[in-house]
Formats: sequence, structure tokens, C-alpha cells
Amino acid sequence: MMTMEVSALTTVAFWAASALTLGLAVVVVTQRDVFRAAIALAGSFMGVGILYFILSAEFVGVVQILVYVGAISVLMAFAVMFIKDIAAGSRPSQGRLVGVVVAVLAFSALAFTAYNTEWSSMDDITDPIAVAALTEGYTERTIDGEIQVLGQGVAPDAGFDIENDGVFVDSTSAIGVSLVREYMLAFELIGLLLVAALIGGLMLMREPPEGNEPESETGGASV
Amino acid sequence: MTIENALLVSAALFAIGAYGVVSRRSLITVIMSLELMFNGVVIAAVAFSRFTPAAALLSGDPVTAEAIRSALTGHVFAIFVTAVAAGEAALAFALVFAMYRATESVEITDAAEMKN
Repeated sequence: MMTMEVSALTTVAFWAASALTLGLAVVVVTQRDVFRAAIALAGSFMGVGILYFILSAEFVGVVQILVYVGAISVLMAFAVMFIKDIAAGSRPSQGRLVGVVVAVLAFSALAFTAYNTEWSSMDDITDPIAVAALTEGYTERTIDGEIQVLGQGVAPDAGFDIENDGVFVDSTSAIGVSLVREYMLAFELIGLLLVAALIGGLMLMREPPEGNEPESETGGASV
Repeated sequence: MTIENALLVSAALFAIGAYGVVSRRSLITVIMSLELMFNGVVIAAVAFSRFTPAAALLSGDPVTAEAIRSALTGHVFAIFVTAVAAGEAALAFALVFAMYRATESVEITDAAEMKN
């Protein structure tokens, strides 16, 4: 299947983004200055976002940049500025040797599995409609109540880039449909989880009142 | 760029994060390392979505919209993990501030006073 082949330029971009991500991640875990670590973390998140774009997950890439680079990094910067004696820096603990052992073991186990598994390939898909839908995007057409999938030839002039390495040229709308059909319950539960996190965060952050009644606080947090 | 390469990067990011979680003393750096581990996991999910075919597309049945969308399960998983990580980060920092208010410190060793 020709459209699934990866161009040399994509490979170079992939390794460049990986080097950026992993290099800055090493800075995060070794840097003593916590503020510099926070900046490196933002850069590392950005590298991961670029990786998502290279892996043709455009929507996930945009979410990554919005949520991680835009929100979580700012939260980190706030945290660093709130803590007074942060100038003392982030000292390594006695667990350093344990950390190296854990990291090496985790990495070698995962890498061993990745290289010793017979992964099925995208080339195993033989259905031409499926191939066209995955590489060029797909269109649905409802005929007599039946949803029919149209791949190739539906909108050949609508600006589809067939040479794109993507699995989905337009994955965003398909993800949107997935979220409210197959994953409806999980989608609603995530909303509930975020509200619970919001209320829990407010409860923990609240200045304790003079009387200091922890019972009423835990009661409120379990909403 | 193959699935092995992408999983290698994912494993490396996860391992770097694991090292940071175990070896740092400041709670803030530990949370940063946790976020790195989350990112490593999500890279693996997106890589599976990109390089391996969805089972519904290999069955030989006529292609349905559900089968096509099932090729995007990894992306949906990535979005859910991102949402959970965002909630976790907010709560984790609230806990850090609560600890800072109680002990004037954000070092993990100072949190050991709950022992005994």
C-alpha cells in the first residue's frame, strides 16, 4: 500500500522531535533549579505535541499543546512562584540509585517487548474502500436509512492530499463522532471527574477557618 | 519511522519520568516527572493507532463507519488520558500547597512525619 509509506523527511522530523522531547525530559529530572525544570518541561510537552502531528494525530497534537503547554505548564510556573524557599532547588534524594535501576529495567522491558513482537501491519488491510477511507478520509452517505461509507472518489478535488502519510486526513470529525457514540458514557464520566477535581482542589486550597472544622470540609468534597 | 521506533521513544520518556519520580526530593519535580510518564503512555497509544490496523478492518466484511472509526480508538484514549492528567495535576498542586501550608516545605522527606 503505497500511501502508507513513510517519507525520509518524516523520519528525520520524527527523530528530531524525539531528540527534543527526550533531551528536555532529561533536563527536567536532573536540573536543580525548579523554574528551569518547568521551562524544560514545557518544551518537552511541545516536542510530544510535534510527535503527535508526525504520527498523524492532529487533533491529539492540538489538545496536547492546549492542555499541557498552555495549562499544565502555567500551573507548574504558578506552583514554583508560590513556594517561597524554592531557591534551595530540587535536591536529589537517596533514591537516586534505585531510580536508575527502575528506569533501566522499565526501559529495557518495554524496548524488548517492542522489538520482539510481531506487530500486524497496516498493509494487512486489503479492502480498497478501507484503505481509501484511512488515507484520504471518508464520507458517510445515508441511503434508505443505511449508512454507507464512501472512500475513494467522493471528493477527489476537494483538496485531499493523497500523498499524506496520514491514517486519517480528517480525523477530527471522526473523533468527535466517536466521543458521542461509542464512548458516550466515558465522555460524560470525564466531565464528572473534572468537576470533582475542581471542587476537590478548591476544598484543599481553601484557607482553614478560625474554628478549623475538617469534618464539614470532607463532607463538601465528596459531592 | 516504524512502530518499534515510536514505542522506543515512548519507553524512553516513561523511563526518564520513572527515574525522576523516584530520585527527586521536591514534590513539584516529582509531579513534573509524573506528567512525563503520562506523555510516554499516550505516545504509545497514538503509535498503536497509527501503525497497527483495527481488527474490524481485517475481517473482510463490508466496511462500516463504526469499523473506520475503530481505527481511531488510540486517539480517543489519548484524549481521555490527557483529561485525567489535567485533573490529576490540579489536585496534586492543591495537595502540594496544603502540605506547604502545614509544614513550610515541599520536600518528600518532610512528609514522613505522618509515620509512627
